[in-house]
Amino acid sequence: MGDANNSEPEKETAVTALSDNLLLERISQGDAASFEAVFYAHYDRVYGLLFRLMGNRDEAEDLTQEVFLQLHHHAYRRRLFNLQREHNIGAWLYRTATNMGYNAIRGRQRRWQRNLVLVPDAAGSPGVDKEVERQEQATAVRRTLARLPERQTQLLLMRQMGFSYQECAQVCGVAPGSVGTLLARANKAFKQVYEEEMGVGG
Amino acid sequence: MDEMDKQTQELLALLEPTAEDAPPPVSLALAQVKQQLATGQEDIWVAGFRRFLAVPGRRYATAGVLALFFLLFAFSFPTVRAAANEFLSLFRVQNFAAITISPAQIALLNKVAVDGLTPGKVEILADPGQLTPVNSLRAAAARAGMASVRTIDALGEPAAIYVSAPGSGRLTVDLAGARGILAAVGADPLLLPDSLDGAQVNVAVFAGVDQQWEDIHFLQSPSPLVEYPDGLDTIVLGRALLQLLGLNAAEAARLSQEIDWTSTLLLPIPQDIASYREVTVDGVSGMAVSELDGRAATLIWQKDGIIYTLFGNHSAEELLTLTNSLK
Repeated sequence: MGDANNSEPEKETAVTALSDNLLLERISQGDAASFEAVFYAHYDRVYGLLFRLMGNRDEAEDLTQEVFLQLHHHAYRRRLFNLQREHNIGAWLYRTATNMGYNAIRGRQRRWQRNLVLVPDAAGSPGVDKEVERQEQATAVRRTLARLPERQTQLLLMRQMGFSYQECAQVCGVAPGSVGTLLARANKAFKQVYEEEMGVGG
Repeated sequence: MDEMDKQTQELLALLEPTAEDAPPPVSLALAQVKQQLATGQEDIWVAGFRRFLAVPGRRYATAGVLALFFLLFAFSFPTVRAAANEFLSLFRVQNFAAITISPAQIALLNKVAVDGLTPGKVEILADPGQLTPVNSLRAAAARAGMASVRTIDALGEPAAIYVSAPGSGRLTVDLAGARGILAAVGADPLLLPDSLDGAQVNVAVFAGVDQQWEDIHFLQSPSPLVEYPDGLDTIVLGRALLQLLGLNAAEAARLSQEIDWTSTLLLPIPQDIASYREVTVDGVSGMAVSELDGRAATLIWQKDGIIYTLFGNHSAEELLTLTNSLK
C-alpha cells in the first residue's frame, strides 16, 4: 500500500495473543509489555490513517502519539470504573484517530488554514511539474474527504488501506453486512464531490 | 474492493505517505510516548475532574450526583473532599450553580492535601459496594426501589444497565483542621464558628441506575439526604467554601448571600479544562459542562426529586438533542 513500514515484528510478543480486555487491564496496571504490544501492532496503521487525513508528517505524528496516550488513559479509567464491557482495541484506536483527525481539520478551518498541505519547494528539481500536479490532486482529494460525512471518509480510507470488512464494521460501529452498501454510497459521494472540487479548483 | 471503483482507489492512493513522509521508527515513537506518560501526569484533581466529565464514574455516580463530588474529592485531595462533605452536604439538591476554579487555586488545594490538613474524621457507614448488572429497566427500577426508570429512547436499548446500592457516611468536624485549611489558602479561618467543632454531618445516598451505550452514560438517582446540626449558618459556611475555591472575601460574601445553600449544588469547574452554561433540559433548568476541546460534555439536572446526569464523548448540544427523546 505504499506505507513506509516501520513495524518491528520481532518486538511483538505472546502478549499480543491476549484478549483486548486483558490487554487493557494489564495496560491499566502499568504493564509496559502490553502497551508496547498494542503500540507495535497498530502504530503504522494509525499513522497511515492520520497521514492520509492530515497530509503532513508532523501533524500525523503528533496525533498518532496522542491517540496512544489516550488509549493509556482510557485503559486506566476503564479499570478505575470497573468496566467489564467487551472491548476491541483496534476499533477504538482507529475511531479515536479519525475523530482526532477531524477535530484537527476543524481546528485548521477555524484558523483559516483550511486544506493547507505542505507542498515541497521543488523549484529547479527534475520532474517538478509532475510532482506539483500530484500534490494538487492530493489536495483536492483531501478537500473532498473533508466535505464528506466522517464515517464515509473513514470507510474509504480504511478500505483503501486494506482493512477488512469486519474491521471496518467494528470501527464504524455497523454490521459487517452493511459495509459494502455504505462503501458504495461513500464511493459515489466521493466521486461527486471530487468532480465539484476539480470543477472549482481545477 | 468492488464497491470502490478504480478511479477512487487511485485518487485515495495519492494520500499514502511516501518514503519522505515515513514516521520515525516505531521504537522511537514509543519512547516518546512513554516519556510523555512519565512526565505528563495530569494533576490528580484535574484527572478526577476529567473522569467526572466524561468517563463512566458509575460506581459512585449512580449513587447520585452528590456522590460524584464525593468521588471527585475522595480520589483526589482528601482535605478538600472532607471540607466539601462538610459544606456541600448541607443541602438537598434542587438547583445547580457553577463556579470556575483556577489552576493556581487547584495547585494550592493540592498542597494543602499534601501537607495533610484535614477538617475532620470521615467514616463510611455503609459502602455502596460494587454495581449490580441487571437485564432490564424494569429490573433496575425494582432493585433500586424507584417507581420507574427513564431512558433515552433515541439511543435504543442500553448496552448495559447497572444498579448501585445505597450508602452513607459521616463527617465529624475538627475545627482546628478546618480552620487550618482556610488559613492555608488565604481565607479567613474565623469564618468557621466555634460551635462547628465536633459537629456531625450525615450523608445518605440512595440506590441509582446507570444506563450505558457505546460512549454515553445516563445516570439517575434520588437526591441524597443530608442531616446536619441545627443552627449551622449555611451562608457563612458557603462563604468559607467560596473562598476555599478561590473567590476573594468580598466576592465570596456577596455570592454566598445569593445562593440557597440548602438546595443548590455548587459545581467547581477548572477554568483550563471546561466551560459551563445554564441550559433548559427536560423542561427544567440544568447545567451543561463542556470540555474546552469539545470532546466531552455533561448535562446535569434535577426533576421531581431525581438527579439526572447524561455524559459522554459528545458536545453539549448533541446531548441536549438526545434528551428530547427522554421517556
